[in-house]
Amino acid sequence: MSNRHRAARIGDLKHGSGPSRWSQCRKRGIDGSLRSHSDEDIDDSRHSSFTTPESAGPVSRCGRQSDWGSQVEDEEMRRGVHRDMQRYRRRILAAEGSQRERKVSSGSSGSSCDSRDGESIETDEAVLMRRQKQISYGKNTLAYDRYIKEVPKHMRQPGVHPKTPNKFRKYSRRSWDQQIKLWRVKLHAWDPPAEDSQENTLSGNIEELDLEDIVDIELDFPTLADCQNAPSSLQVPRSSAQDQDCFATPVKVQKTEEPDVA
Amino acid sequence: MENSSEDYKIQSFDMDTQKLLKTALKDPGSVNLEKVSNVLVDQSLKDPFFSKEAGRICFTIVQAEAKQNNGAVFRRHLLNRLQQEFKQREETRKRSLQEWVCYVTFICNIFDYLKVNNMPMVALVPPVYDCLVRLAQPDALLNEEEVDCLVLQLHRIGEQLEKVNGQRMDELFFLLRDGFLLQEGLTSMARLLLLEILEFRAGGWMLSSTAHKYYYSEISE
Repeated sequence: MSNRHRAARIGDLKHGSGPSRWSQCRKRGIDGSLRSHSDEDIDDSRHSSFTTPESAGPVSRCGRQSDWGSQVEDEEMRRGVHRDMQRYRRRILAAEGSQRERKVSSGSSGSSCDSRDGESIETDEAVLMRRQKQISYGKNTLAYDRYIKEVPKHMRQPGVHPKTPNKFRKYSRRSWDQQIKLWRVKLHAWDPPAEDSQENTLSGNIEELDLEDIVDIELDFPTLADCQNAPSSLQVPRSSAQDQDCFATPVKVQKTEEPDVA
Repeated sequence: MENSSEDYKIQSFDMDTQKLLKTALKDPGSVNLEKVSNVLVDQSLKDPFFSKEAGRICFTIVQAEAKQNNGAVFRRHLLNRLQQEFKQREETRKRSLQEWVCYVTFICNIFDYLKVNNMPMVALVPPVYDCLVRLAQPDALLNEEEVDCLVLQLHRIGEQLEKVNGQRMDELFFLLRDGFLLQEGLTSMARLLLLEILEFRAGGWMLSSTAHKYYYSEISE
């Protein structure tokens, strides 16, 4: 893949930037240095100086990243993506073995639908790089930092807690972008306190969520199209959600594509 | 195991700067990393001794920043500064041979130390080769300073460079052979250095013990 081709995709990512409120809780400022936690200067220089996790400062939008800093970061990301892929492949092979035994009842393993027989993984480097950039962008936020500190991985409940979309699964571009968007929205629940709101609890912030942004409810699961053959996998999160003081309840309740509530 | 600051060879900096560097090593998020990178680059261009050793402290700061907050601000500034200097290398060489030699030493040192996932930074390979090829040009071979720099870098990173781009290494060595054989006006030291590096590479980037004896046993303290 030529530099220009890759750079054009980087251009895509930049033009597809999210709403400005997300920049309020960016961990890094425009020059790449860490921001203090206080409510910050608001963006709107967002248009002219767009910061991605990889760049410390304004980068030319016309693509060609010929500066050494960017080249090395790209190289690093590429290697990281390939390493992730190998790890993922190994994980799938391991899971496939044990999953065959467990296919009996409803629940699937934590790798819900990750490894189904015959399903190929995404290997297109350009796609993986683009997706990785989007993921990095979301992880480069104060909200994400606070989230992972507050909720260790083993305590995460599907449906309640945001889960990073799996870049190795085959999704359409639209589906993937939507997953990212929903993931980012969910992460906002962990935004640091803003100046005007008293509380910073999950429930407090949920009200601020723009529910119209949410089209699908399939937040943590593959989209229905992918999962038509495994309706049983939907039961797991539902039952656990009901046990909890589920702050995501309003979101889930609003539009239910799932079969009857258990 | 903690590296004492002597390991980073920062004694040539003034006390305030040393303090800044030490803080950068421990708590990179708290300092202005652009400033730190400029300080290190500037000194490397001036100080032949430091230019040979700066890679290590740079590497440590990069690691520290990555560990502390997953950042790469320092690395980015460092590389872009290197790139800037690279673009002006010909003027630099005209202005000051020492600064040019320091630059080459520094960029090679960075190439040696700053690895990405334990692999050399691919982005630096072409400019490093460009620098070495420049040093192998006829006008440069006339200066012992430049020949000395060239062979030092090849000793340190030649093998790695060859692995990532064997063809350019071959081309470089064509120049070195030509220079050794045909270049008039070379000092005998320059010719000795060239002969040694030719043997060194031919031996798989090491000298046989007899060759080593020939070249090095007579060096007195």
